[in-house]
Amino acid sequence: MLLFWSEEHVEKWCRDWNLARGEIIPLEKCWRLAESWYSPDRREPDWRKSTIAEAEALFAEIGFTSQFWRLSPS
Amino acid sequence: MTTDSAKATFDLTVRSHVYDTAMRKCMPPTITETASALNCSPDEVMSSFQRLADAHILVLQKGSGEILMANPFSAVPTAFLVKPGERTYYGNCIWDAMGIPAMLKEDASIQTSCACCGTAMSLEIRRNTLVEAPGIVHFAVPAARWWDNVVFT
Repeated sequence: MLLFWSEEHVEKWCRDWNLARGEIIPLEKCWRLAESWYSPDRREPDWRKSTIAEAEALFAEIGFTSQFWRLSPS
Repeated sequence: MTTDSAKATFDLTVRSHVYDTAMRKCMPPTITETASALNCSPDEVMSSFQRLADAHILVLQKGSGEILMANPFSAVPTAFLVKPGERTYYGNCIWDAMGIPAMLKEDASIQTSCACCGTAMSLEIRRNTLVEAPGIVHFAVPAARWWDNVVFT
């Protein structure tokens, strides 16, 4: 997951590296994802990784609803 | 350490130590440091690191078995510097770089650059809020394939 100045820079980067364009998201949504994902204290014994359903629910809450964000088999 | 229950309990201790060290010292611990801190053998730590990697909690360096990533922390320098005050952490990507102040629950600046043109870019997290700044994030790989090659996502 990389940071770019603009969508045009993403397009150029994809062309330069011969990569398909993935998903572009605003910084604010990336922060919401990071804050939700990493706030729970991983030092605590009761911390556990999110299940697929929990992760997909978080993605949906932030507005990531396309097939790109699907984790479960379709 | 023979039973699954004993291994699971040990893995919790190792995970806690890894994250406690990464948060306090800006970097995940080595195998030797972990064995010394937990008063156990390096082989026991290596096995635990591998189980945690199998569970997608750690990413290990090929060959040595040392930690490469204890997300959001990187054990090696990257292009994502995270600075709460005078300390410097390294994130694995922009998501992880933002995850470091979220995990530390501290204000921080993130110093990185546009992946295309290399122009310096800086973000600020203040009071659990992202200060408005230019830029967008590109996820290159669909979520279901992130763990195919977690170094490139």
